[in-house]
Amino acid sequence: MTEQGPVLELDGISASYGSVQALDDVSLVAHAGEVIGLVGDNGAGKSTLIKIISGVQSPDSGRVVVDGEERHWRSPHDAMQAGIETLYQDSSLAPHLSIGSNIFLGREIRRGGLLGRLGFLDQRSMERKALEELENVGVTVPLSRRTVSQLSGGQRQAVAIGRAVLWSQHVIVLDEPTNHLGARQSQEVLHVIRRARERGLCVIFVSHTLPHVIEVTDRIVVLRLGRVVRDAPTSQYTVESLLATITGLVAAPGS
Amino acid sequence: MSDAGGMPRVRPREDRVPWARRVRATIANQQFVLFVVLVALLVFFGSQNSRFFTTAEFTNLIIDFCGLILLAVAETYVIISGGIDLSVGSTVAISGVVGAFAMETLASHHVGEVAILLVGTVVCAGIGGAVGVLNAVLITKANLVPFVATLVTLSAGAGMALVFSRGADVGSNPAAISWSATGAWIFTWESMIVIAITIVLSLVLHFTAYGRYNFAIGSNAFAARVAGIDVRRHVASVYVVAGVLAGLTGMFFYIRLGAGAPTSGIGDELNAIAAVVIGGVSLVGGVGVMTGTILGAMILTVVTDGLIFINIQPTWNQVVVGAIIALAVVLQSLRPGRQGASA
Ligand SMILES: Nc1ncnc2c1ncn2[C@@H]1O[C@H](COP(=O)(O)OP(=O)(O)OP(=O)(O)O)[C@@H](O)[C@H]1O
Ligand SMILES: [Mg+2]
Repeated sequence: MTEQGPVLELDGISASYGSVQALDDVSLVAHAGEVIGLVGDNGAGKSTLIKIISGVQSPDSGRVVVDGEERHWRSPHDAMQAGIETLYQDSSLAPHLSIGSNIFLGREIRRGGLLGRLGFLDQRSMERKALEELENVGVTVPLSRRTVSQLSGGQRQAVAIGRAVLWSQHVIVLDEPTNHLGARQSQEVLHVIRRARERGLCVIFVSHTLPHVIEVTDRIVVLRLGRVVRDAPTSQYTVESLLATITGLVAAPGS
Repeated sequence: MSDAGGMPRVRPREDRVPWARRVRATIANQQFVLFVVLVALLVFFGSQNSRFFTTAEFTNLIIDFCGLILLAVAETYVIISGGIDLSVGSTVAISGVVGAFAMETLASHHVGEVAILLVGTVVCAGIGGAVGVLNAVLITKANLVPFVATLVTLSAGAGMALVFSRGADVGSNPAAISWSATGAWIFTWESMIVIAITIVLSLVLHFTAYGRYNFAIGSNAFAARVAGIDVRRHVASVYVVAGVLAGLTGMFFYIRLGAGAPTSGIGDELNAIAAVVIGGVSLVGGVGVMTGTILGAMILTVVTDGLIFINIQPTWNQVVVGAIIALAVVLQSLRPGRQGASA
């Protein structure tokens, strides 16, 4: 891969909910083909940061720069169009819709001709392609006509991750993707993350499962009470030192 | 994406359904049960009074069905999107009264009959749409919950209809009445129009992107939003559509009556919601089928008209409707995996 500028830059991001300062001057630089771990205790501000990256929320101050260009998302749709796909901690699937309908939600395939222009959908193509594309990113699910509510928690998570990966152009943000997953399914998620990296995507991986973070990431950013307390290559952490940095029981080296 | 890779593909497991299971699934199918109930009711009332199976009576049944179905279609859209619209009944009254006033004014200026009815239809739909816009603003801008917002317009609409009409029927249009008696076979012209609208909106709900977004929003509004759907705009549009449908129903009643009555449609929101519930639409949103609503409305119509036919006091009507709703809800709760009935 040729030397390129960062695909995503956050610069001095601050955000608050009323009197709660959720993020305080957070900066982060992410490159293509890089997997970044974002860790921190409950309430550290990880999900808030992710919602700012993906356009669900706007920061109080600070800049979001994608591919060298400063962006102001008006909606999650803007971020999607800029190639940023997100798996949210709060489920981002519609449980009563089929797997195929969920994969193509907001990007429906229309029928040809006049019917298509009137908004009629090509449901069959969507169901078929959904399975194919999910397989391509390494996710296997049962028949795509099933509704998401008929899947197990792990299968739902797989569908959600698959959707994020297959639509992503630049950046995939995964907020606790291995939540509720068994050991084998978690390994599959890590495998999907590695494949995304091979495709040259930048992955931001939020998790409380520190061995997973150390296993799959290139760099780890630690948040505590809305601030970045450490940002270093994964090789410089062990599970123990990472834990200590998160909880703040030991001063972060170099600070 | 490329299909060329030599990697073995994992074939998805096809769900195999042996015929016995398929039969059981059909019986468990809400639509099927509703259809059987409808046929049973028709047979019952027909066996009690043979005049029930005449063209004239079927024409009446269809007219009564058409007075209800657009409101039920409106509720189907609104309820699947995760809301509710209590105002549709009042909107029938206010739009009918205002439309009648407009038509009366035109008639006094010797405008032709057809032109009067066309303008009246536009006025009724417009008033209905205006109420819908008001609902949409209260819900998507003032952030009132749909129940409260449409309770406001329910009261205001019913009150305005009374004030505007001074409590009496507005206008007198014998030409409309005689026109409404014409048509083909068991369908009057205005019934055909209502049925056509119903078919179009059924197709839109189940086969277009607009319909898909309606289910998605009712199922998980956050998911719909982060998938790039403009949830507020969609929800607003659904209430406007509901208002327009109520306005058209106002015109429908005007044609039948030859006048705009301030009592037309009052309370009909409950019948519409009943039809929707009987049809298996989930009140929490995200689930429903338009054919269910249509069957629900047919059942309600047949029961209401049939009871009159076999000389049972109309006062019993409400009790029977209540029993049917209870039965439908119990049936739904017995059905396994009832989450999965949608797009
Ligand atoms: N919608 C909200 N309204 C008010 N406060 C909020 C809201 N969402 C988050 N917060 C607050 O902002 C802070 C950061 O929350 P955030 O959800 O970003 O944490 P997190 O790091 O994702 O935590 P977790 O690991 O539990 O998911 C917390 O103090 C939280 O209470
Ligand atoms: Mg979180």
